[in-house]
Amino acid sequence: MIKKYPLDELSTALGRIMGVLLTEEKVDHAVHSLARAVRDALPGSIGAGVSILNPHALPVSSGSTDSVVERADALQYQFVQGPCLTAWATQESVLIRDVATDGRWPNWSTAVVDLPIRSVVSTPLISGGEAIGAMKIYADTPDVFEDATTALMELFAAPAATLLSHIQTAEIPERISESLQSALYSRDLINRACGVIMERHTLTEDQALQQLMREARASRSTLSEVSAALLGVAIDRPRGTSDGLR
Amino acid sequence: MGFDSSEPEQRRRLQAALTAAQVNTGDLWLYYFGIGGAVGEYEVEAYMQGLLSLPQLQRDLLAMAANELFADADGPRAPYSDEIDAGEVEDEDPPGSEQA
Repeated sequence: MIKKYPLDELSTALGRIMGVLLTEEKVDHAVHSLARAVRDALPGSIGAGVSILNPHALPVSSGSTDSVVERADALQYQFVQGPCLTAWATQESVLIRDVATDGRWPNWSTAVVDLPIRSVVSTPLISGGEAIGAMKIYADTPDVFEDATTALMELFAAPAATLLSHIQTAEIPERISESLQSALYSRDLINRACGVIMERHTLTEDQALQQLMREARASRSTLSEVSAALLGVAIDRPRGTSDGLR
Repeated sequence: MGFDSSEPEQRRRLQAALTAAQVNTGDLWLYYFGIGGAVGEYEVEAYMQGLLSLPQLQRDLLAMAANELFADADGPRAPYSDEIDAGEVEDEDPPGSEQA
């Protein structure tokens, strides 16, 4: 009565249900491509980055064109201040004409003083009224960007945010796979226990399952516990077997 | 064949347990699937909305899934079909209610 599904197919089906078809690899690829496209499209910029943040202002996925961007980004999260975090939190673009004289993020500005970063534009990625992250461009001299640059960035950000909004967090597919594995394991355990009962008492599959359920209720145990006890096996999925299934 | 007489009551109280524990139908379904449930998520969703009748065994498995999921919570339990008096129809608070 119960069809057996391959794990991949089930994962895909569940992923579709939850609206998260993208794997982490694809997400990272998408933010990297976006960062490159932004840098190439905006004259004067020497680097660009795209970050997707969770509600606690922690990056879940980020892509950048070079290590300078990565470093400047990491410093923002370390100090919990900086243009991208402000853009994300206020849902407004941030234009810095000169990092050296802009006093809005003192800790961050001091920390990036040795990096070739003087001009910055950071724009929030907004999807469905919610900021899901920010993208930014950098230049190594002051006054490279102006309000027109900000407008251009916002033009870019709108479709990008829509595309990226499918990714709530990059870890979801993995978590699906994890809960799916444990569901499949307990399902298998219970099915095996049903098989034993069917054989022992010449019952149908449904009757066997009903008997297991009665036993679970009578002993205030879970169905898995009753099944594991009947089969004489451990209730937990053996560790170390999961890697092969990823 | 229409609804089993105990079905609406059983569904209503399963829904109440889900609401109290703040668990959505998707999570319930995955757990139910993990203990041998045979019906798809779509059908379970339809059942929860009263649009589809499910066999007694599947309804009881759903109840068991809910009760195992919320074993640590203080909220209402989901009843099994043999715990529902078929003669008693839509009485909001049955005597000896589990609300402690």
